[in-house]
Amino acid sequence: MSIFCLGVNHKTAPVEIRERLAFSENTLPENLREICEIALVDEAVVLSTCNRVEIYGASENTQKASDSVVKYLAKHFNIQEDQVEFYSHHAEAAAHHLFEVASGLDSMVLGETEIFGQVKKSYALAQSSGVTRRRLNKLFQQSFTIGKLVRSNTQIQQGSTSVGAAAVDLAETIFGDLKDCNVLIVGAGEMSRTTAQSLQSRGASSITVTNRSYENALALASELNGDAVEFENWENELARVDIVISSTSAPGSVVKADMVERAMPKRRGHSLLLIDIAVPRDIEEEVNEIDNAYLYNIDNLQQLAEEGRARRLKQIKICQEVIRNFLSEKGIEALAEIPTRIQDSMESGKPSTSSGSEPLTNP
Amino acid sequence: MGLIFLIISTACFLIGFCVSVALYRAGRRTAGLNMAFIAIGFVFQCLFLWKRSELHGRCPITSGSEILVFISWSIVIMYFVLGRAFRLSLLGVFTGPIVLFFQAIALTFLATNDPGARPAETLDPWLEMHASMSLLAYGAFALAAIASIMYLLQNRQLKSRHPGRLSRRLPPVKYLADALIRLLIIGQLLMTIGVVSAFFMEKTPSSLHMAASGGVWLLYGAILTYQLFRRQAPRALARCAIVAFSFAVVTLLLI
Repeated sequence: MSIFCLGVNHKTAPVEIRERLAFSENTLPENLREICEIALVDEAVVLSTCNRVEIYGASENTQKASDSVVKYLAKHFNIQEDQVEFYSHHAEAAAHHLFEVASGLDSMVLGETEIFGQVKKSYALAQSSGVTRRRLNKLFQQSFTIGKLVRSNTQIQQGSTSVGAAAVDLAETIFGDLKDCNVLIVGAGEMSRTTAQSLQSRGASSITVTNRSYENALALASELNGDAVEFENWENELARVDIVISSTSAPGSVVKADMVERAMPKRRGHSLLLIDIAVPRDIEEEVNEIDNAYLYNIDNLQQLAEEGRARRLKQIKICQEVIRNFLSEKGIEALAEIPTRIQDSMESGKPSTSSGSEPLTNP
Repeated sequence: MGLIFLIISTACFLIGFCVSVALYRAGRRTAGLNMAFIAIGFVFQCLFLWKRSELHGRCPITSGSEILVFISWSIVIMYFVLGRAFRLSLLGVFTGPIVLFFQAIALTFLATNDPGARPAETLDPWLEMHASMSLLAYGAFALAAIASIMYLLQNRQLKSRHPGRLSRRLPPVKYLADALIRLLIIGQLLMTIGVVSAFFMEKTPSSLHMAASGGVWLLYGAILTYQLFRRQAPRALARCAIVAFSFAVVTLLLI
């Protein structure tokens, strides 16, 4: 018996295809059982995220099993078999692929951590549906170990890869925990909204929005569960907030150095991060010269994101080395031959008559 | 026996520092392994001081070497007490060299010219209290100076708008600024106990000693009072903490 992996991801299929193949979380337990009812598929885990749909299985004949799964997918999602080009990996290659996925090496944003939780969740769902046994249990547990190993022994998740993430990283370098941070958005633009959402997702405690059109400020504030202040009064907020994100379409400066200078004594030593994502810029350059105020514009953030991406790319080889070292030391336990009597006892649910300490050697 | 403890302790700090630097250069985390060396170094510091106190029958601060070890010990203990904000990036990469430097000097002098037992003619608990509290305060002030250096480095990185690897390793500026104030307050409280104890001592200290201790106490008191009422920016406070500690070290040499 061996393992296989079959699927599509952001590199092999456009979103139009991926969305058609997406499994619903509510029906997934039933789908998993259906997949296992297909001849030759003994165990299954479905990993269905916005960037990938992958089916991991264990079978006596992985080639035939993966062909059967393709047929099942075509029927289930009502697509032509030749309409989608699935990739498939078998035995060690399948395991290696899962390890790369769990480590974030196969993600759209290299090294992102969300996929690790998604793999865990998919496995837990399959396990609770009773469609995993020794092979996939071992395989997924190993993938969690490797995922953690890669993240703790390399810099794959260090540095930011987008403007929003760069802003969040900066905020954390200044304030540490963002849970007590108050954010002021000046100008209700799209970039401000996404940056504020990034900060909110990391725990920022409150969002205040100001805009020349008060209605727009109110709309964005309600979307972000924040408050709106009238444009004439936003300057008072400088004494209270920790992060200012500005993205108005004003032709001149909106946040002036003397405004910040006036606000600083009222802040009683608290730092102020100002993020200017407007072009032309909203915040006067001199603000960065004020003690305890840190000003970053769109170019600065883009440069940080670019450096972060480059740094992560450099880490791929190191991560693969970590995976290779792990495999050469431990082997892939899921690929180990299971003595028949143990396998029988596992499948029947009765304890094995053997001592139970029989070594399960790696191939 | 005491000297061996000091040698082991110093070696632990040396290895801990080297490990930190090597891991930092390799882009790896420094925490676990470094922490182990520092903890072992601290245990041997304690054993050394215990042996010396047995030798003298009083607090082991009878010579310049012992004072240096005592200050090193107080720096490490301050770190353990106020750990969270500093983590090991402070103790391993920044504090380590200072502790190492102090103990290496102490070791050199003790190995070549150990004055031996110096029992007190009469044991004055107020004198012991004055000396030990003052040196503990110096430990806190030393850590405050180190936190200040770290703050200034992190601030510089952030102001450059191009924060590099060092910035990612240093604690957030807010944590450093908070730690700086906490350390100054703790140092000043300990110093106050030390200064007050001096008034109850059997033997009146020399006027130079009084001027030095009083000067340090007044200087840090002034910094904290100004901070309380004016809340100056952390950068200015950090600079003050470095200048004040430099002054404190000079007074220590004078005494």
